[in-house]
Amino acid sequence: MRLAWGLRVAAVAAAGLSLAILPFLVGDYRAFELGRMGIFFIAILGLNLLTGYTGQVSIGHGAFMAVGGYTSAILATRCGVPDYLTIPLGGLTAGLAGLLFGIPALRLRGLYLALATFGVAVAMPSIAKHDRLEGLTKGTTGINLPELHSGTWLYGVTWAIAAALFLLAFAIVNSRLGRAFRALRDSEVAASSMGVNPAAYKVAAFGISSFYAGVAGSLYALSNAYVNPDVYFVSLSLFLLIGAVIGGLGSLTGVMAGAAFVQFVPPNASSILDAVSPFAVDSRAPGVPSVILGAALVLVVLLAPTGAGGLLRRISAPLMGRLYTRSEGG
Amino acid sequence: MPSAAPTWATEVALAAFSWQELAQQVVSGLASGGIYASLALALVLIYRATRVINFAQGELATLTTFVAWSLTNHGLNKWVAFPLTLLIAFAGGVALERVVIRPVERAPVLTVVMLTIGLLIGLNGLTAWIWGGETRSFPSLFSTGTVDVGGVAVSYADIGVIGVTLGAVGLISLFFRFTKLGLGMRAVAANPETSPLVGIRVGWMLALGWGLAAALGALSGILVAPTVFLEPNMMQAILLYAFAAAILGGLESPLGAVVGGLLLGVILNLAGRYVPEVGGESRLAVALAVILIVLTIRPSGLFGRTVGRRV
Amino acid sequence: MTRTRVSILAFGLVAAVAAAAAGASPAADPGLTASSILIGGTAPLSGEASSAAAVARGAEAYFKYVNARGGVNGRRITYKYVDDGYDPGRTVQAVRQLVQQDRVFALFNTLGTANNLAIRDFLNSEKVPQLFVASGYTAWGSDARRYPWTIGYIPSYLSEGTVYGRHLVKTKPGAKIGVLYQNDDYGKDLLNGLRKGLGSKAGQIVKAVAYDPTSTNVDSQVAELKGTGANTFVVFAFGKFAIQAFIQANRLGWRPQIYVNAVSASSNLLTLATQTSSKKTTTGAISIVFAKDPADPSWAGDPGIKLFEQIMKRYVPGGNLKDGYYSAGMASAFTLVDTLKKAGKNLTRQSVLKASANLNEANNPFLLPGIVVKTGPSDRFPVEQMQLERWSGTRWTRFGGLVTAKS
Repeated sequence: MRLAWGLRVAAVAAAGLSLAILPFLVGDYRAFELGRMGIFFIAILGLNLLTGYTGQVSIGHGAFMAVGGYTSAILATRCGVPDYLTIPLGGLTAGLAGLLFGIPALRLRGLYLALATFGVAVAMPSIAKHDRLEGLTKGTTGINLPELHSGTWLYGVTWAIAAALFLLAFAIVNSRLGRAFRALRDSEVAASSMGVNPAAYKVAAFGISSFYAGVAGSLYALSNAYVNPDVYFVSLSLFLLIGAVIGGLGSLTGVMAGAAFVQFVPPNASSILDAVSPFAVDSRAPGVPSVILGAALVLVVLLAPTGAGGLLRRISAPLMGRLYTRSEGG
Repeated sequence: MPSAAPTWATEVALAAFSWQELAQQVVSGLASGGIYASLALALVLIYRATRVINFAQGELATLTTFVAWSLTNHGLNKWVAFPLTLLIAFAGGVALERVVIRPVERAPVLTVVMLTIGLLIGLNGLTAWIWGGETRSFPSLFSTGTVDVGGVAVSYADIGVIGVTLGAVGLISLFFRFTKLGLGMRAVAANPETSPLVGIRVGWMLALGWGLAAALGALSGILVAPTVFLEPNMMQAILLYAFAAAILGGLESPLGAVVGGLLLGVILNLAGRYVPEVGGESRLAVALAVILIVLTIRPSGLFGRTVGRRV
Repeated sequence: MTRTRVSILAFGLVAAVAAAAAGASPAADPGLTASSILIGGTAPLSGEASSAAAVARGAEAYFKYVNARGGVNGRRITYKYVDDGYDPGRTVQAVRQLVQQDRVFALFNTLGTANNLAIRDFLNSEKVPQLFVASGYTAWGSDARRYPWTIGYIPSYLSEGTVYGRHLVKTKPGAKIGVLYQNDDYGKDLLNGLRKGLGSKAGQIVKAVAYDPTSTNVDSQVAELKGTGANTFVVFAFGKFAIQAFIQANRLGWRPQIYVNAVSASSNLLTLATQTSSKKTTTGAISIVFAKDPADPSWAGDPGIKLFEQIMKRYVPGGNLKDGYYSAGMASAFTLVDTLKKAGKNLTRQSVLKASANLNEANNPFLLPGIVVKTGPSDRFPVEQMQLERWSGTRWTRFGGLVTAKS
């Protein structure tokens, strides 16, 4: 048992060290890509808390990312706030928006909530372009942020934040809050009969998950050094959902797989298709990445509904039996 | 821009000087509304038959419309190609249900939503892959003429779209009320657990629902493509308007879909024209507002019945 | 989550890091060898703007043609363009990849206003030339002091609008003008140009109504403009919306003098508009043009168009020979080749930038005869000249000679 424990600590330490020096090994561009993946990681983590743990479907989390991103951009350009400070502020603004949205959302069940959030995602760009807001959002011209950051900076900041938020999510999930969330997902009426106040917890879940999305959105704005309505359009919300499902709803470990999928599959879709397809196809045709993404989502839902996280659980179970003489459960 | 922006009241007063324009706005609102109604009908049908909100309905419609385009492009007369397309769409819808939806027929709502989102993305990509992204013109069922009603121009095409959609509503209502299949579908939708006990094959009823909805979607695409031009993203914006129309009218009511669509079209036009805050650019936001307002105040819409929640 | 899972994750991460490190690419010269030059670009190969991707394909075809003839000063041009789906977020990632991973020599023909705004800061701070941007946003020329590494190409939308405004002042002094414009930089730039061209007469614009590209049609807006009693209808709309504007005007029995923006004024589009609305509506419509439209029959037999067709048939099999986006791409590719030649055998990014800022090209076969692609220390707008044209019902007829509207 002590050997296993020492091994574990060494493993985690080795992992931490490798992660820290990784950007210097792979070059600034790969670090940028990994940073982007981290942004997805954070957003999907938030979405997972909402959809996986409380069962409220949101197909509109890209809109909360937009709130975070625009907050960052506006604070950085108009108020001279340094970039990294705008990140928590972006998160808080989005979190507030989430709380405000969560209140009327209480009246919407399952499908209707999905529909309403879908509507928010679709309508968000036109709201951002609205004349009244143009002084603030600069419409389609968008806002250029004052500082450009290297891929390494993005990687470091994003994953540091991601690690912190992951621990936070872990803590939430294993706390009374998390148990209340799960109770709500399984049966709201049963939960309320046990003293859980559905409204408060559901709104809280919305607020927390949109805080995460807002942080991700701010980081996204910083990574581009630019925001405009088309940067946060519908596809982003759909990507987040795909990432959450592929990672496995209700599983925190799967989120990494989901983020990796969403970051790396679409740009490499043609190569993937070439590798997978038995016959010759025009893999560079428009629409191929979408077909791959859509097919992946359909296949995961049909064949592996618990996503990568579920698969990981199944794989690690026999391994567990080898490392311990007595089963630890979990 | 004039230095003193007109107030809302002044705008309305100025507009009042042209009743003709108001009538014209209403008429063109009804015309756009017909477009939303036709897709909304497919959404309502599938919800009523299978309790699923099909986010992929628009993309399915676009795909089948491209099939129609290919058929006419290869020389087939449109009066042959279009009904053929409806049949193909029907078959496609049935196949889709049997292959993709059937494994998750009993699954929670969330799962099926994910599936339809996957279809949304995948079918959109498939359409672009097969036919490419360029915008094409599409042959219209109706002539391009206009009729002048008291100074207001009403085009034959617009009347045609609304007319055909209403006709479809009529057929569907007859089907649901007076045929055995229709009765079976309604039974399955109301009571999926107990229907097998009376000999109804649930799976095939659901497949039938998907098939009919797909055919209606193809019809919508055929009606709509001449105006908005055919391209893979044709139905993306219309989808949200169609949802708003279906919600407004009541997700369970085919007639509601049409009334909701027409009403929505008029609301969007009048809001865009006469409310300075909205302008011509913010229609999506208005549609979203409609969805949110209806869902919070009266989720069953204008024609729906409120249903209790099962525990 | 169990500790075992943490361990598995940890081991997995270490393995991933090792694999990634093994795959890291070494540093190299930026895009240049003795026999080749690597140029990068982005274009909307997928998504709603994918019809514009032909601009990149046309340029690529031209480069292949040049390569087959020995290239530029012995170097073959490889043009690597990446899909950004018209999403500025993706453009940023693609450009970082092109600059840091693929080590391109320069960026060329990157498409989209917002897309280019998103990458401009990065390219200028990395001192990578952002050449002949495929967008008519005025800033590419007017921001030259702050962004010396960025240069545009086509006449700015602002100057196009100004030309229409000036024409109106000259030919229709009492015009009552209604404007339909797309609610983005494209439409707004054109509208601002129109106002500028009208000068003191800008008040003659009785109404300017916007539409969002997510609308199903523009019928409501057209009805609104007709209701103002305007006798001049300026259409600053994209593709199908322009056609819808014609159709609706026809339906309403409205016969104003129509101006339509160049991007939506290809012969193909006007022919389609004439078929779906009526000859009476489209006849007399005015636009501007600066490149030779392959669908315009008056260019049949022209050596430039013949070259275009030859290149298309050889290098873009199946490409639409009437699609003006291809020839627009070839026009800018021609200028790039010219710039590279001027920069000489000892190419550096600095020398190419300098050459691009000192152009004097009078023989571009894809642009209107007489157009000189010119830049200088105080002039960073390569193509500024254009010509007005009028639609006869079946074809465009150019008139009035080349005009400019300095921005």
